[in-house]
Amino acid sequence: MRAFALLLSLTLCASALAQEAAVPPTEALPTMKPATEGQVWGALIFATNDAAQLTGSKEKEPDHLQGLDARLAKVFPFKHFEILGQHQQDIFRQYESWVVPSRDLFLKIDSKGPADKGGVNIHLQVWREQQVLVKSDAILRPGSPLFIGGPKWRNGRLIFVLSLDERKAR
Amino acid sequence: MKPPSENHDLTRWLDGVMSDAERSAFEQHLAEDPALSREANALKSLRADLRTHLPAEMNVPYGDFFNSQIQVRLAQEESRRVSDSAHSPVAKLLHWLKKPWLALAGTAAATAVLTVALLRTPDADSYSRILSSYTPDIRVEARSFHDDAAQATVLVLDGLDEVPAERKVSGINVHRSENEPEIAATALFDAGGKRLLTISRDAVGNPQFTVTPPRG
Repeated sequence: MRAFALLLSLTLCASALAQEAAVPPTEALPTMKPATEGQVWGALIFATNDAAQLTGSKEKEPDHLQGLDARLAKVFPFKHFEILGQHQQDIFRQYESWVVPSRDLFLKIDSKGPADKGGVNIHLQVWREQQVLVKSDAILRPGSPLFIGGPKWRNGRLIFVLSLDERKAR
Repeated sequence: MKPPSENHDLTRWLDGVMSDAERSAFEQHLAEDPALSREANALKSLRADLRTHLPAEMNVPYGDFFNSQIQVRLAQEESRRVSDSAHSPVAKLLHWLKKPWLALAGTAAATAVLTVALLRTPDADSYSRILSSYTPDIRVEARSFHDDAAQATVLVLDGLDEVPAERKVSGINVHRSENEPEIAATALFDAGGKRLLTISRDAVGNPQFTVTPPRG
């Protein structure tokens, strides 16, 4: 009986050692950051003439877009412009890129490669919840933001701003 | 009334400028015309009286001063006229346009204006552009343009349904994202590294948001 137990133990140990030897050694793969075409800043802005309608958001525009209110006012006839949300996003070269400063109005960007004379070619989709509002092919260039006039809200208008960051443009 | 020729002859006769033949003929005529003869005598008497009471020549008092003042006044008038015309806006402009350096200055100014105009007119390759747009909802119209004053490209969507006033439109502040290609999702993080949302696609390809990571 003792001999049988000893034989069983030896058999189990040999089996375990054989299994361990059969598993190939594994190596941790290096973390690869996806290739990008630059970085964009996107924001959802509420434009209104009635200050009482403002939500009280304290979001500020980035340094490279100082004076954004004045620039918006040249296009959209409102007195007050309030940033509701903002999103800094890499434009991935191989993947879709989402710019979501709000779940109510957001963008999907697909890179189509660098543009001649600077900037990036993109396919742009503006989404409102589960509905795509517009699909556009565009060239986005640094220093030249895209103002998208969206739906009306509370006697004002929701505006999407998309800007290619000059510092991170390729 | 005597005809003009007789008056003329009478004057010439009184002034003594007739030739002998003319004087003889005129005096024959005087003899035959009593009226003309009376008028001739009256004028002759008047001339004699004038010569008796007035000197043949009279010096102008302070003549030199008078002449010099006339000349001074004429010179002043001429000077004023030239000055006035020279100071009129039209004269100034004409005078200025005759400046020799004007052509060079004008060319430089025109070049500067053209340069500024070109600089202010952005090159189409320098700003963002909307190349094409498609709106699935036929009620929605997309129009795009570049606004020089705003230095922005504008895409306006008209005809969208208004967001109900009672709806609370809120924003988030996304600082970075991570792609998770194995599950076709994108995770959004705030500045502190906190995961805010994960975006994935539903069965028909529409985006869907989950607040908690899909992998638990």
